[in-house]
Amino acid sequence: MKESSTALPPGTTETYSGLHKWLQRGLFVCLAALVLEGSFTFPFLAAWYGWPTLSLVEMCSELQKVRYSDDTRECVFPYPLFAPAEAAAQKTAKDDWGVQPKPQYKRIGFRDLVKIHDERVARQAAANQERVQQ
Amino acid sequence: MSILGLQGTFDTSSAYDGHDQKSRQAQRQADKWMLPGAVMMTTAILGPIGFPLFLKGVALQRKAAAAGLSVRPLICTLLGYLVIMDSGLNSIGWSLDLIAHHSLINRTLVTAWGNMFDAGYFWHYNELWIGGTGAPGEKSWEIALVPTVFCMRLAAAIGFLQMKRWGHQWLIVTCWFGVIYWVGYVANMTVFADLRYNHVVFPVLGWWIYDIFYITPFLAIPYLHTVNREIFTD
Repeated sequence: MKESSTALPPGTTETYSGLHKWLQRGLFVCLAALVLEGSFTFPFLAAWYGWPTLSLVEMCSELQKVRYSDDTRECVFPYPLFAPAEAAAQKTAKDDWGVQPKPQYKRIGFRDLVKIHDERVARQAAANQERVQQ
Repeated sequence: MSILGLQGTFDTSSAYDGHDQKSRQAQRQADKWMLPGAVMMTTAILGPIGFPLFLKGVALQRKAAAAGLSVRPLICTLLGYLVIMDSGLNSIGWSLDLIAHHSLINRTLVTAWGNMFDAGYFWHYNELWIGGTGAPGEKSWEIALVPTVFCMRLAAAIGFLQMKRWGHQWLIVTCWFGVIYWVGYVANMTVFADLRYNHVVFPVLGWWIYDIFYITPFLAIPYLHTVNREIFTD
């Protein structure tokens, strides 16, 4: 047996040692990336979309308001078990309809939902105050 | 058994047995940390808890290898856990969408993921009678893949980590399935790219940067077909 082959891991023959070396490097990179994605995707998303300033239910409501272009939508939680889908028959979402529909909602930037939420609450408070004064 | 010709005797069988037993124990100990850690990370929500458990297992595995114990080849460990992570993360996302589409966690974080990378999980969400994604074709992929391929992949990865022959064989089968769903999924997204990437936070390139690490099948297949199969046992 050649000396070099004694250093190969079990299952790897000399013919494929180069291939296995590169595959191992690729596997290592992918595993490290998936470990990080598995661990930190949800915390990252929560932070991007407004948590902890917004609760998860508020975040859910704000996402629906954007998705369906409807400021009156609220996230029902807990959702009744056998109820119809929450957005069934909704009529407010905006799209350019065609064989390739294009949604018209706006891109949500870093913590934009907090800003959208606060502005709407301020707008509603001002409208209420105006109504009281009249 | 003793080796003659040496001064005194040396019991090689008990030395071998001892080494084998220590190696098995060390491998089991490392897997005891890595497996729960990996499974927790595949739930995404428990990821931050699973992360340190997994790293502890990796440290134990490295320590055992450095001590000269006959633990699993590194490439098999990487491959097995990568398949667990890949199939687990795919399963959790698609299972939430398929059967728990009105749960709070799904309506916040999964639709947020959709808004960030792939609006198939945001656009007209929870509008179909079956709930969840409304993107054309997406629901069919979930129904086809969650109860079949991803369950098989998880089981195959565990068998593979145990160095079982069936684990190796089923990993080959499910990795070829993996090639099919990669091609099908990417084709589906490309055909309906307008609805899936318009006004998304990190469109197309963002999706590729996030998802390219799921190319497990393309790395696994060349290894599985070229490894010496004698290292797997019945």
